[in-house]
Amino acid sequence: MADSNPPRDDEVGEEEEEEIDESNYKTVKDAVLFAIEVSDSMLVPRPSADPKKPVEESPVTAALRCAYHLMQQRIISNPQDMMGVLLYGTQASKFYDEDEGSRGDLSYPNCYLFTDLDIPSAQEVKDLRALVEDEGKARDILVPAEKQVSMANVLFCANQIFTSKAPNFLSRRLFIVTDNDSPHTQDKALRSAATVRAKDLYDLGVTIELFPISQPEHEFDSSKFYDDIIYKTSPNDPDAPAYLQPDSKASTATGDGISLLNTLLSSVNSRSVPRRTHFSNMPLELGPNLKISVSGYILFRRQAPARNCYVWLGGEKPEIVKGVTTQIADDTARTVEKWEIRKAYKFGGDQVVFTPEEQKELKNFGDPVIRIIGFKPASALPFWANMKHPYFIYPSEEDYVGSTRVFSALHQTLLRQKKIALVWFIPRRAANPVLGAMMAGEEKVDENGVQKYPPGMWIMPLPYADDVRQNPETTLNVAPEPLIDQMRVIVQQLQLPKACYEPLKYPNPSLQWHYRILQALALDEDLPEKPEDKTVPKYRQIDKRAGDYVLSWADELEKQYATIAVEKPASSTLVKRGAKNRAPEDEESSKPAKKVKVEADNNIEEEVRRHYQKNNLSRLTVNILKDFLTSHGRSGVGKKADLIDRVEQFLESG
Amino acid sequence: MADKEATVYIVDLGRSMGKRYHDREVTDLEWAMQYVWDRISGTVATGRKTAGIGMIGLRTDDTSNDLEDDADFANISVFSGIKQFLMPDIRELSEKIVPSKTNKGDAISAIVLAIQMIIIHCKKLKYKRRIVLVTDGKGPMNTDSLSEITKKIKEDNIELIILFVADAPPVSVRGPDFDDPDYGVKEEDKDPQKAENEAILRSLAEDCDGAYGTLEQAVAELQIPRVKSVRVTATFKGFLQLGNPEEYDTALRIPVERYFRTHAAKPPSASQFVLRSDLAASQEQPESSATAAAAAQESQPADGNSLTNVRNLRAYQVPDEEAPGGKRDVELGDLAKGYEYGRTAVHISETDLNITTLETFAALELLGFIQSDRYDRYMHLSTTNIIIAQRANDKAALALSSFIHALFELECYAVARLVVKENKPPIVVLLAPSIEPDYECLLEAQLPFAEDVRTYRFPPLDKVLTVSGKVVTQHRNLPNEDLMDAMEKYVLGMELNDTDENGDPVDTLPIEDSFSPVLHRTDAAIRFRAIHPNKPIPPPSETLTKFSNPPQDLVEKSQPQLEKLIAVAGVKKVPPKAKGRKRTRETEKPLSGLDVDALLHQEKRAKISPNNAIPEFKQTVAQAENIETIKEAVKQMSAILEDQIRHSLGDANYDRVTEGMGTMREELLAYEEPALYNDFLRQLKEKVLQERLGGDRRELWWLIRRSRLGLIDRAQSDQSEVTEEEAKAFMSASAAN
Repeated sequence: MADSNPPRDDEVGEEEEEEIDESNYKTVKDAVLFAIEVSDSMLVPRPSADPKKPVEESPVTAALRCAYHLMQQRIISNPQDMMGVLLYGTQASKFYDEDEGSRGDLSYPNCYLFTDLDIPSAQEVKDLRALVEDEGKARDILVPAEKQVSMANVLFCANQIFTSKAPNFLSRRLFIVTDNDSPHTQDKALRSAATVRAKDLYDLGVTIELFPISQPEHEFDSSKFYDDIIYKTSPNDPDAPAYLQPDSKASTATGDGISLLNTLLSSVNSRSVPRRTHFSNMPLELGPNLKISVSGYILFRRQAPARNCYVWLGGEKPEIVKGVTTQIADDTARTVEKWEIRKAYKFGGDQVVFTPEEQKELKNFGDPVIRIIGFKPASALPFWANMKHPYFIYPSEEDYVGSTRVFSALHQTLLRQKKIALVWFIPRRAANPVLGAMMAGEEKVDENGVQKYPPGMWIMPLPYADDVRQNPETTLNVAPEPLIDQMRVIVQQLQLPKACYEPLKYPNPSLQWHYRILQALALDEDLPEKPEDKTVPKYRQIDKRAGDYVLSWADELEKQYATIAVEKPASSTLVKRGAKNRAPEDEESSKPAKKVKVEADNNIEEEVRRHYQKNNLSRLTVNILKDFLTSHGRSGVGKKADLIDRVEQFLESG
Repeated sequence: MADKEATVYIVDLGRSMGKRYHDREVTDLEWAMQYVWDRISGTVATGRKTAGIGMIGLRTDDTSNDLEDDADFANISVFSGIKQFLMPDIRELSEKIVPSKTNKGDAISAIVLAIQMIIIHCKKLKYKRRIVLVTDGKGPMNTDSLSEITKKIKEDNIELIILFVADAPPVSVRGPDFDDPDYGVKEEDKDPQKAENEAILRSLAEDCDGAYGTLEQAVAELQIPRVKSVRVTATFKGFLQLGNPEEYDTALRIPVERYFRTHAAKPPSASQFVLRSDLAASQEQPESSATAAAAAQESQPADGNSLTNVRNLRAYQVPDEEAPGGKRDVELGDLAKGYEYGRTAVHISETDLNITTLETFAALELLGFIQSDRYDRYMHLSTTNIIIAQRANDKAALALSSFIHALFELECYAVARLVVKENKPPIVVLLAPSIEPDYECLLEAQLPFAEDVRTYRFPPLDKVLTVSGKVVTQHRNLPNEDLMDAMEKYVLGMELNDTDENGDPVDTLPIEDSFSPVLHRTDAAIRFRAIHPNKPIPPPSETLTKFSNPPQDLVEKSQPQLEKLIAVAGVKKVPPKAKGRKRTRETEKPLSGLDVDALLHQEKRAKISPNNAIPEFKQTVAQAENIETIKEAVKQMSAILEDQIRHSLGDANYDRVTEGMGTMREELLAYEEPALYNDFLRQLKEKVLQERLGGDRRELWWLIRRSRLGLIDRAQSDQSEVTEEEAKAFMSASAAN
């Protein structure tokens, strides 16, 4: 069977987990449509509170910029998900092939579909940016209409866009950005028409998320109109928390103080990803005959650049090629149906065959479950006992009423007693059983009181005995106290802010660079020169804060090493270390400010540089060149000529 | 590299081995072979050419060996010289392993033959030499040259393992063997020859520094899976750096090496095969996968001869509105490499392919330090590694040790940027000190980047925030004091108390005793099937499922606490039927609580409009006062969906159709009218198969199947008259067409 729809998993195999909601017929994708109101008040630039960026920006531009950022971000993080931008209240109208020039009545007057709902294309990214930055174009489109647009019409317009462009999506969301809290104060009919259209959206499974903007003189009051439009929870997620979360206060950006763009951005960011379950309503067994139900989520997962693909250049523009796999029998090349396939293992030069039923049975260790085996002190979990990202679980009342209170009791008890649970965990049918450590995690909030990490339990897959590798043999050289004392000072000098690791401060440099380059290529921009890499240490600060301490540590090291070098005569036959032991110790100790190096083979460095200056690198052995290159983090593979090339390149640039 | 191996197995096939002992289900020989086959198949599974196996039968009816003219060597048969064992060897051997009709044959002579085989095979080369003897010790033995044999074995560094088939259960329960009818020697306490032989063999094994044990022990040990040891290789050799040595003289560098600490051991992987086409043709098209499997079972090939490989054929397509189905095939040769940026294809020429690669240099660079108690353990994103100082570099070891101890004393972790090779992507890792009496190292785990974190929000668990913003501390979703108290006691009661070899309690997780269930299950099954092609696969060994349930004694001990907990928790299972049903007829309301339905009523939507079909269908059904209204809504909806199919260009409307069908199915299930959906689906299937909806729509049918939009069966709704089997057959029968 040729299938082109399912995830491209031909390489990852069945083990790799896709986020599939098995119980649902919907595709696990997200579509976000921005609906931004264009009105006089929305177009008035407001002063920025940020003294570093004294640019005045109107709410419309801020919202568009926000959409633009989100679009770029989603291309990286959710390449399958859709986005669109609908402006309403504009003088101009545009809806697919309709505009003012079309004959007949406009279906959606004063609605301007600027970016159609789809996976963004490079051109759309470019156009959106142009609208944000280019005054000329903005002047043409961002012109408010004379009369109030019908909200019913806007909502139905959104309805039609979702119905036709994002059918069967699990998550469809309409982001409304407006400062008008009462669009139809006078007209009751229009108002009730809007509530009916809002109910339609709700029944279609579209969630409306409101980003209210308060006017300088007037606080946005959602009770005037929007409380009739917005429903309590997403219809797809009955367990969603109460709609009004603490962060809503952050989005009431008044003109005074808080920068509009930033609050909007953080507010949009926090809702940019729909919540996707990894498994839902899984039984959590606390003991025989005591089960509750929980849902599982993956809150940490390594994001990697998409693999390269084939592109067909025969058409007007490059086209992405879809691969379709057909399975054929090797002997006659006939097409093979799925049911015909047998699994076999190579054994003793032959194949050992199992029927599909047997094959299934081999993987069957029971139904999906999280079963508590017992409890242990939290300190029993070693740092190294880890296999992959954790699973986050949170109670659901779907299968067992009372799950939440029991889960809460367990959560609080584990925190109080500082315990973890050992669990037998089968995440999906026929998935490999995992022995996991389940620990309670407390809710963490940021400075603004917005939740950073939710309260719940984390299941960390433990290694089996088979997964634990033995430590390689090595000789033990315990550092004496004075040396440790010196190092302690260094460590104390270089604590990270708040002495904790904050992932959000470290974007993945290679991922960002990959998409930065692709974006430049796709949009015909100049290639950026230098990547922004937050993971590069702050060298200047390190030198300033710890430099002197490092030098005195290095002195101590030389001293201590001299004593053990005496104790252990160099005549040891076990290890060849002639060159290393002859390292010019006296030279270094006489000039303590020289480079601090522990590798003790400074002579290689100097030798290579000397030969480079004399232009006879080729006289050096491959080993020396290799050592030199690896000591500078450069690859040491290849032929001698390549190595010399690389050494020259390195020394030229230095 | 693993050493070369030469192992000779000597298996006692004497008549006495053919009897069953006590209530054991298998004969002594079969029992002994459990051990021998396990060893042999374990070796075969490695697929190593340098792991040789030889096989000698002791107390066989015939005699066949190099010294067969010597009377001392009678009734000993060399079944196989030392060589790599393959499947045909196993098959051949298993036919020969049957009890003989004799009790004659000298075990010592067999050992001599084995020694000789090893000497000839291994010469003076480096080998792991081993002789395994399994016997019940009931044959005659000539002990004249024992001392010479011992000398030879030690000289050639051969490991001698003797497994004795003990006659009787341990001393305490001894008894039954006195009146064993097979024996007929009631006047003696125990077969004197056996006791004597046992003593001889034991001292022989001990004299040769070999091993002696009962088969009982050996078979019991088979239950414990063997963990493969893997050769250690460094995944990074470079420098732990603080500061930039290219720019600052104060930069610190320690040469280090990085090794896996944990790494997933993969179960053996299967390849795909099909029955050879000439054989497959003779097979009837099966009606269901169950019969297909049955057919396969019958013709279960003892070898892979009747199978042929499955190959993957890739075809490449681009969208083309004019082509049938909206897609057109293109040749691989015409394609270039590129990436997707959104839905735009970005072409990158072959020479520029690494243009998107970030330029990096190998190093482990420190970013800073954090307090270990401010780190949340759940941020570990990966398997773990260890970092040690460059080996045979005392100065580096000293330097790293000071770093490890400083972290330890300050209760700190280090955060570092690691690039393992030039131009590999950087990762951020956490380094923790590990100090044991005889080993020091840094432990390393990967940390998430900003992009790796998903901020899903969840309400607090210790209080409830209402929509109006009030904080409530007493709520049905919050535990009361009784529940908290019962939970506290239960958690205390279920504390796992593991002990070490000395019986002292230890506070570690039982990682060493837990074995990857799938890996060992598959491995055992392959080996079992190889030896016993026609027997069903036995269930997984108990060791593998040891941690699938809490320990029995703990459960019993904490039973009162559990009962108390269950009583106060008041957890109730939601009956499966109720899950789907609309529990209340009350429809959802917006935040303000406005009754939108009343407004909808005023509007009077007479007919479901095709462009707002889903909401209007839902609303009509929700407001329906009689079955006729629902029937009418279904009729209208069906017409709309069929129309969408008919006018779909290729698969353009398919997602919309499945969404409509899914909505219908959900609603009709909820309103307990499964028949209406089932009727609709039956008609739709007919129309699709008869191509009455705008041509070939089989792909749609396949999508419906995959989306689980089949008939509503009895398991899903009491009102349904369709059985689960019927529902299954309904969906699969068509796919074969």
